[in-house]
Amino acid sequence: MAKIKMKYLEIAAPVEESKDIFDYLQLSNSMELEKLEETEGLQIISTEKTVSSIEKYSEVAGKALQALDRYAPEKSSLISALKPLPEMTFSEFVKKSDSADEILGVCYDICECERNITDSKAAIARNEAAIDAVKPWLPLDVPMKFKGTETTDAYIGTLPDLYSAESLTQALSEKLADEGRFECEVVSQAENRSCIFVLCSKECSEEVLAALRSMGFSYPSDPTKHPPRVRYERLAAENKKLKETIEESKKEIAAHASDREDIQFVSDYFSIRRERYKALNNVSAGDRIVIISGYVPENKAEKLTGELDSRFSVAMTLTEPDESKDAPVYLKNPSVAAAVEPITEMYSAPGKDDLDPNPIMAAFYYIFFGLMLSDAGYGLLMAMGCGIAKFKFKVQGKMKKTVDMYFWCGLATLFWGTLFGSWFGDIFELVANQFFGIPDLGAHLNSLLGFNLFKDGIALWFQPVNDPMKLMIYSFLFGIIHLFVGLGACFVKMWKQGNKTGAVFDVIPVYIFVLGIASIGAGVLMEVPPAIKEAGKWCAIAGAVLIILTAGRDSKNIVGKLGLGLYGLYNTASGWLSDILSYSRLLALGLCTGVIASVVNTLGTMPQNLALKAIMLVPVFIFGHTVNMAINLIGTYVHTNRLQYVEFFSKFYEGGGRTFTPLGNNTKYIHIKEDK
Amino acid sequence: MSYGIMFAVLGGVLAAIFGGVGSAIGVGTVGRSAAGVVAEDPSKFGKVLILQILPGTQGLYGFLVAFLLLTRIGIMGGSPIELTSAQGLMYFAACLPMAVGGLISGIHQGKAAAAGVGLVAKKPEESGKAIIFAAMVETYAVLALLISILAIFNITSIITA
Repeated sequence: MAKIKMKYLEIAAPVEESKDIFDYLQLSNSMELEKLEETEGLQIISTEKTVSSIEKYSEVAGKALQALDRYAPEKSSLISALKPLPEMTFSEFVKKSDSADEILGVCYDICECERNITDSKAAIARNEAAIDAVKPWLPLDVPMKFKGTETTDAYIGTLPDLYSAESLTQALSEKLADEGRFECEVVSQAENRSCIFVLCSKECSEEVLAALRSMGFSYPSDPTKHPPRVRYERLAAENKKLKETIEESKKEIAAHASDREDIQFVSDYFSIRRERYKALNNVSAGDRIVIISGYVPENKAEKLTGELDSRFSVAMTLTEPDESKDAPVYLKNPSVAAAVEPITEMYSAPGKDDLDPNPIMAAFYYIFFGLMLSDAGYGLLMAMGCGIAKFKFKVQGKMKKTVDMYFWCGLATLFWGTLFGSWFGDIFELVANQFFGIPDLGAHLNSLLGFNLFKDGIALWFQPVNDPMKLMIYSFLFGIIHLFVGLGACFVKMWKQGNKTGAVFDVIPVYIFVLGIASIGAGVLMEVPPAIKEAGKWCAIAGAVLIILTAGRDSKNIVGKLGLGLYGLYNTASGWLSDILSYSRLLALGLCTGVIASVVNTLGTMPQNLALKAIMLVPVFIFGHTVNMAINLIGTYVHTNRLQYVEFFSKFYEGGGRTFTPLGNNTKYIHIKEDK
Repeated sequence: MSYGIMFAVLGGVLAAIFGGVGSAIGVGTVGRSAAGVVAEDPSKFGKVLILQILPGTQGLYGFLVAFLLLTRIGIMGGSPIELTSAQGLMYFAACLPMAVGGLISGIHQGKAAAAGVGLVAKKPEESGKAIIFAAMVETYAVLALLISILAIFNITSIITA
């Protein structure tokens, strides 16, 4: 299992049957169409206009659904998100698509209401601003545009600073030559600003204005024709009406809640149609026939051609794809390995010459994930959560792989956590010790069991906190195994490509060299028997010599060969050293989870009083472990990916491929299946 | 009580302080760019949140080093062990990789992650790569953490031996 070979299929069919053939191809979800070269007598059908108009409809349906979710939210839970999509047979689908136009009408209605709401909201905001502007003038009984009477002139406007009628009269009279020919009123004052009304006789009008100007007088920006109260009331009434409109529109949208399923249907309907018209762009048509061509994975080819042959009058040729063309990649793995496919795809789909890395990567992925998260409690929660989603709700589609992956990661975490004796940190030991007075839970359980199951605390193996060096050595060991497997994959890949000398000379010396160096290096961290050290020394020397001799084999002259050889040795040594050291993160992240989990438990059991202790422990436990688990999950995920991408993939994987994307039903709300 | 214990506590506290400062700056940097992206498209919240959390680990590592040290020297239990000045300074030195490494890697991881937020804004499907770029920086915080922890453990076993 791994990469499935691609076949190139060409179908020639009469124009009359092309629609049904397309329906079938889309339903079978197993062919990726590719544009044919333009040939005489055949034309490529251009569907861009149709596609863009369908996209517009699909957008309308999407907006209508959003509006529905906003004003008539559906009760949804995590569980409902996991439930499989409702099923519909193809003939039911075709029957229901007749009503698509009608439902689209409803969508337009909803969007119209939605637009009313946003427009009304904008209008309300505009009116409120106008109301704020007119508010300080409300006590004024005359229009703000009032200019005065036959014998008087009126000045209405604002002055900086706060004035009362008296202080304003005083300030004005100080600036004027004569007194008593004007009357002041202060309409309102706020925020260091006074709204004033000054009435004066026409003779001294200019003098008064000059005095006012010198005090900083300015006319209001939008004076009213009627007394300000009239405008205020008009605006307020308008806003009330607008608010009613909004409520009505909301109700109108909410009334369509019963159409939600129909709208979801048209949303899917349009996305299916869009896919199809996009695919139609790749079809060549003559007067009587159409030519459909594209890639089919080998394992699906037989079924597809058989079905097409029995249903339609078509002519088909199935050939090997052109080497020079960029054929898509289709992976098929058992679900344990398929679960990590999205991780590989995030890096890059396998290229033409690449092996499918997923089957070999999966095991390491789970092991490293478990080592880094390393708490049996967290692992159990993950495995249980994903297990329920996997077995009870039977999630499908893209979610399935993710759920599978975390299920296996959870099991691996449970495994390592049990070996390391970490269950939500040290909660079992702590509770046994502080509530039941058992000083050493592991020993207590051992005596109950009658044999020595628990080695160190409740760890089946050992606790990393008590012996970090031991776990570090194992981390490097796992790292070397991981890298050696990667190098092995490189060997297989080069061998398959026919580069047999390359495979032997680029891989074998590295194995010998790294093995030698590793056995010497292990001596730094632990006791190594002298015989192994001695053997390691000779291995390292032999490997180094081999690398110097072979790494420069492409060079023409002897100096170049030697130079490149030495450079190769340097690269191998420094590259492998940093790669192996990188695996120390297995220890670091593992310790991190365990120690912080223990800190949470310590905080929770701080009070001396047993009852208080219990009361305090519950919320601290729930909150602390939720946060710790979340943070460490992200860290673990990131660093597991990194070990695969940077250390593992660099040994053999190139990527750069293109994932197989068949013409299919990319639906969000319904699942369409074949008629029985 | 000798100066030894004081040096040791000082070291642990420095690891917590500078790890925390590095993370705070880093997480803050990412948060600012993340807010901009979410303003445009709230559905990217989950993706940018992960990027924002990434530079947060340095603070956690600093905390871890401080906690381990304080436990080892008995401050956490309320009965500090006797340390000579030389022993205290050894603990102090053991904390320095985490303090300095945490501070600097936190800040720079923040910058890398903030750039990653920009990547997610334009190409949300490439968010995995943005995470990896930021995670590259974290390697050095992990290495610093490792040296600090190993040093603390081994110094303890030397002292108690």
